Amino acid sequence: MARHEGPVIVFIGQPNSGKSTLFNAIAGPKAQTANFPGTTVSHTHSEVYFNGRVLRIVDLPGTYSLNPADPAEKAALVHLFKEAPDLIVNVVDASLLSRSLELTLELLETEQPMLLALNMVDLAEKKGIKIDREKLEVILGIPVVMTVANRGRGVKELLSRCVENLKNGSSPRAPSWTEEVEQVVDSLAKDIPENFCLVANRRFTAIKLIEAGDTFCHEILEEISQPLKKRVEETRHRLESLRHLPAYEVLAAERHHLAMKIFEAVAKVQRGRKVSAEEKLDSLLMHPILGYPLLLVIFFLFFFLIFFIGSPLEQLLLLPWTWLQSWVRGLSLSPLFLTLIDGLLQGLGGGIAIVLPYFLPLLFLMAFLEDLGYLARAGFLLDSLMHRIGLHGKSVAPFVLGFGCNVPAVVSTRILESPRDRFLTSLLIPFIPCSARTTVILALIAFFLGPWWAMGFYFFQLLIVALVGRLLTFFIREPSPGLMLEIPSLKWPSPKIILSKVSYQLRSFVQFAWPILIAGSLVLSLLQLAGVDVWINRALTPLVKGILGLPETLGVTLVFGFLRKELSLLMLLQALGVDYAQLPEVLSRTQLVVFTAFISLFIPCLSTVAIIWREISRKAALFSMLLNLVVATLVASLVRLIL
Amino acid sequence: MASQVMRLSEAPQGKQLRIVDIVGGHGLRRRLMALGFHKDDLIERNSDALFGGPILIKNLNCDTSVALGRGVAQKILVEVLDGQA
Repeated sequence: MARHEGPVIVFIGQPNSGKSTLFNAIAGPKAQTANFPGTTVSHTHSEVYFNGRVLRIVDLPGTYSLNPADPAEKAALVHLFKEAPDLIVNVVDASLLSRSLELTLELLETEQPMLLALNMVDLAEKKGIKIDREKLEVILGIPVVMTVANRGRGVKELLSRCVENLKNGSSPRAPSWTEEVEQVVDSLAKDIPENFCLVANRRFTAIKLIEAGDTFCHEILEEISQPLKKRVEETRHRLESLRHLPAYEVLAAERHHLAMKIFEAVAKVQRGRKVSAEEKLDSLLMHPILGYPLLLVIFFLFFFLIFFIGSPLEQLLLLPWTWLQSWVRGLSLSPLFLTLIDGLLQGLGGGIAIVLPYFLPLLFLMAFLEDLGYLARAGFLLDSLMHRIGLHGKSVAPFVLGFGCNVPAVVSTRILESPRDRFLTSLLIPFIPCSARTTVILALIAFFLGPWWAMGFYFFQLLIVALVGRLLTFFIREPSPGLMLEIPSLKWPSPKIILSKVSYQLRSFVQFAWPILIAGSLVLSLLQLAGVDVWINRALTPLVKGILGLPETLGVTLVFGFLRKELSLLMLLQALGVDYAQLPEVLSRTQLVVFTAFISLFIPCLSTVAIIWREISRKAALFSMLLNLVVATLVASLVRLIL
Repeated sequence: MASQVMRLSEAPQGKQLRIVDIVGGHGLRRRLMALGFHKDDLIERNSDALFGGPILIKNLNCDTSVALGRGVAQKILVEVLDGQA
């Protein structure tokens, strides 16, 4: 940290208030964004140059209050106090101003330099809420800037107000409460001993001591001296007898009433306005009966669109590549050189012609659904299904992310409160067909057997997720906490943001996945030249030929699938020594399906295993590998029997 | 004016409801409060997921929608407001 120069600015706010979108608008696409509460689970840093100054900006996970409930919220809080930011930017969803102000008031209690970014003002206006910015500035005593982060509006002003504030360094005053409550809190604040480690200031520390139940300051409370502990107990009793409510609720009610008062003073709510198109669409999407067929339709559309864009594109792109390949093979080169060039062409060409045509439309559609806010709705509709597999709807978020890539999905299990749910969810995530596996499914099954087969295959995979989940919960029994998930309002995605999201993901695909694909193909070529592949294949024969009924030569492709799933696809052609179009001549329909089923289910790819290892535990990672291997073998041999 | 008190899980759809009490433990009460649900808030039950799934609750005071599991909904006591205010 010490090496860096420049003031630290942290973005903090309630989940889904657009902190990350604002962050990306300033720093370029770095943080993951979606219209779903809790997309950000860990902080993202960036250095920004503005008017010749370096600003270090930190995007924190969303938190509803400064009394955290899940690990992601706790991370936000710890960061807020450890980082000792020079300026806090409280990002607020203007359309939810009255509720969001409660966190703002809590932040003001720290009396640290602060600025309010009133985000999504366009949405608020659509909902008929008009906010008097100047008045809000006066009441809160901090600068207020209106922004529309997904359109990039207000971003420059926000930064210049930040710089201004850093220069004059003014700090706000903590808002004061009802006198009788204030007196009680104040007297505790005065009694905090001199040597006590204060958080922010005396009053704030006193408040946190009162509020801490089984959360945040629990550890601190354990450590404090006996007399102070008694004083805290006493203060709680005084508050409780004052309002006949638990002490922390007395304080929460103070903030709530203050927030309501401020909201009424600064906002004009227009009633009786007509229902917006988004709201109409929403009531349809969330309809208790129609919602389900619509979910299916969206799922179908998603799939078919990718296929109908991807498959002609693939055929088109394959043409020059096959031509190039046969041309190279016709040249009289030394065997080693030829092998290397062939491997290179396989890896590079496969990446461009076979993987990208499906991967690209998939990224676009995923980004669209994410930003629209459909994920939370799917979570709502599918909650009871999730219950059947022993999880609640909040796990839908990691699951849906898993369709893109399993790695961020495992990271996002941080939004789950209970360790049991985290463990279970991350064991199930590797069974979800990620974009790499979807590509394999589309390129092998849809391309050769038709889209309906691929669709069926996809459903089949989801069924397996449900079955495995059911089985796991049978062994790990423990009640899951009830569902409480905010459903954000539908937002029409901004094309600019979708584009930058897709290009960011594409860049990381080219940077990280492509080298593996090319290197893998090269290594296989060399192995083949040296004749080592035969040994690997021979060792795997009992599994590959005996159980799965596949050609012996495919053993080596399975081994490499551990690195990346698409690699198996490219290697399949290489190992069999055929062109893409000739595949049906050497593999039967059953063999194609068995191969795809095994590839997509067997041990999670290297990055997924690594992330489970890091995020959950070594035990979980090893168990996950074993579980996937067993399930893949069972399923693949079952497929072989049925087809 | 106000009618009898019932659990939110048994309350009718599409009617204005008032939160009378939240009878859960501290963790639940804290969480609901953070999500913007307080005693005396006006809410509306908008939709139910199939097969005993969650219910969709809209808080009319702060215009937020939250999906609540049935177990959670059982712990919120509400009363139906007769006259549409």
